[in-house]
Amino acid sequence: MRLLVAQCSVAYEGRLGARLAPAVRLVVFKADGSVAIHSDAKAYKPLNWMNPPCTVTEADGVITVATPKGERLVIEVHEVVSDQRFDLGDDPGLEKDGVEAELQQLIAARVDALGSGLRLVRREYPTDLGPVDLLCRDADGNAVVVEIKRVGEIAGVEQLLRYQERLDRDGTLAPTRGLFVATRIKPQARVFAESRGVACLEVDLEELRGSAPPDLRLF
Amino acid sequence: MKFRAEREALADAVGTAQRAVASRTGALPVLSGLRVTLGPGSVELVGSDLEMTIRVTTPVQGEGEGSAVLPARLFADILARLDGDTVTVELVGEDARIEAGRFATTLRTLSVGEFPRLPEVPENGVRVDGAALAESLRQVVPAASRDDARPILTGVLLAAHEGGLRLVATDSYRLAMRDLPGVSMLAGDQRVLVGAKGLAEVQRLLRDGDIEVFLAERDVTFRVGSADITTRLIEGEFPNYQQLIPSDYPNRLKVSRDLLGAAVNRVRLVSQSRDTAPIRIRMNPDGIELSAVAQDIGEAHESVEATFDGGELTVAFNAQFLLDGIESVGGSVIELETQDPLRPAVMRNPEAPDFLYLLMPVRIA
Repeated sequence: MRLLVAQCSVAYEGRLGARLAPAVRLVVFKADGSVAIHSDAKAYKPLNWMNPPCTVTEADGVITVATPKGERLVIEVHEVVSDQRFDLGDDPGLEKDGVEAELQQLIAARVDALGSGLRLVRREYPTDLGPVDLLCRDADGNAVVVEIKRVGEIAGVEQLLRYQERLDRDGTLAPTRGLFVATRIKPQARVFAESRGVACLEVDLEELRGSAPPDLRLF
Repeated sequence: MKFRAEREALADAVGTAQRAVASRTGALPVLSGLRVTLGPGSVELVGSDLEMTIRVTTPVQGEGEGSAVLPARLFADILARLDGDTVTVELVGEDARIEAGRFATTLRTLSVGEFPRLPEVPENGVRVDGAALAESLRQVVPAASRDDARPILTGVLLAAHEGGLRLVATDSYRLAMRDLPGVSMLAGDQRVLVGAKGLAEVQRLLRDGDIEVFLAERDVTFRVGSADITTRLIEGEFPNYQQLIPSDYPNRLKVSRDLLGAAVNRVRLVSQSRDTAPIRIRMNPDGIELSAVAQDIGEAHESVEATFDGGELTVAFNAQFLLDGIESVGGSVIELETQDPLRPAVMRNPEAPDFLYLLMPVRIA
C-alpha cells in the first residue's frame, strides 16, 4: 500500500476524457494493482480510480496508470506532501452477519440434513424470550428446538436451553429436544451442550449451498 | 442564460431526461447532472449514464444562450414541488437561480466542460407505428435479464424477419418473442441488440402515432415526440433462440387468462418468497390444480377450469415468471403447451400467433 499526498493534476483518457485541476489529493496505490485518487470529501468515493490489472510507471514527476483496455490515468505530481509505503499483509476479510440468516434459510429448506425423519413446523417460532430459529418434529412426533449459529459458543447453547425451558411449559410441545447447529462448534460449547442433553451438529455451509440442484435453464 | 417556462412542461421534460441520469456516477460526477442548453425558443435537457442518453426539448421564452449542468435529481424534485404556472431559471456565474412565485433557490452547477460529448443522431430515420412497437416492447422487455454479469442477455434482439421485425429477449429462464409483420426497420438480415433499459424508457414514452428510429453503427435513437432516447448497441452474439423453441408438444392446455392469473396470485401467497415460489400445476383431462407449499408457512391449492389434451402431468414454474407470461401473452384465453416437467413450455394467445413466451419449469422434489 502506497499513500501519496501531493499537489497534482490528473487526466483520464479512456471511454471519455476527464481532468482534475491542480489540488492537494491523496493517491492510493494498492497491492492488488488498483489506484484511487481521493479529495478531502465524498466519503469513501474516489474522484477517479483504475481497477486492476494496471501498469504503473513513474518518470519525471508523472505517474501513468494504464489498463490493458487502453485506459490511462496520468497524474502530474507538482509537489509531494507525503509519500509512504506500508505492508498491510493478508486481510482476514469481512464477516457478514447474513451468514446465520442464510444458514437458517438453507437448513429450513432441507431439515432432513439435520437428521432423518425431522419435519419443519416453523421458522422463527415465537416465544416470549424471542423467536426460536427452527421448531421441528421428529419421526416420533417430539418437538425439536433448533438453534443455528455461525460459530457455536456456550452463549448459544444457553440461549437454546432458555427457549426449551419456555417451550416445555406448553403441553403440546413438552418435552422438547434441543439441537445446536453451527458451521463450527467450540469444544467447550459442545461439552456444555451434551451435559445438558442438547445434541450438537456441525454443518458445511458450502455443502448446503451446493446441495440444491441447479436451476433449470433454457441454455 | 435565462429562460421562463411553463412549470408543468419543464417538470415533465426534466423528469423524462432525468431517467437516463446515472444513479452511480463513478469516475464522472458530472453524470449526476442534467445538461440544460438554451437555444432559440427552447431548451434542450440531456441526461446520460453513457449507456443511455435522453434528450428532451421543451419550448421556453429565453434570453441569451448557453449551457449549464444542474444536479438532476434536485432540479427534478424542486420542479415537481413548485407552485405556480411558470418558473424562471437563470445562470448567474456558476450558480443556477430558480424562481417560481415566492420561492427562489440557488443551485451550484456542475462543470459543463466535463459533460461528455454524446453521439450525434443520424439524419435519416425510419418511421415505425408507435402503438404496435409499444405493445411489442411491453411483451418482450420484461423477459430480458437485469444481471449485468451477462450483458448480452440484458438486451433485446431486433432482427429483420420475413419482411418484418422480430423482437426477442431472454434471461435464460424464459424467452419472449414477438413478430411485427410489415415493420421494416432493419435492412436485409440485419440484427441488432438494444439495451432493454433504454427500450423500457421508449415504451414508457410511446403514445399513439409514429416514432422515428435512427440506427447508427454503435447506437440507436428512438425519437418519441420531443424526446430522443439513444442507447448503445450491445456487442456480442445473442443465443441461438430458434433452436430452443420446440416444434411439437404432446400436452396442450387452454385456460382463461384472468382465472389463471388470479389463481396464481392467490396460491403464491403462502410461499416464503412470492416472486421465486414454485407454483405447481397438475394437469389432467378434468382441469388443472395449482398448488404452492412452504414447509413452515403452509400450503395452498386451487383448481381452475381448463381444457387439457395430453397425458396427466405436474409441472412447476417460478410464480413471477409465470405471471409475467400471463401478462405478456394478452387475450382472454391462454394456451400452455408442455412436454414434461423438465423441458420448456410455451404460452401463447391462440388469437395472436405473433407472440410466444417460452418458460423453463423449476425442479420440484
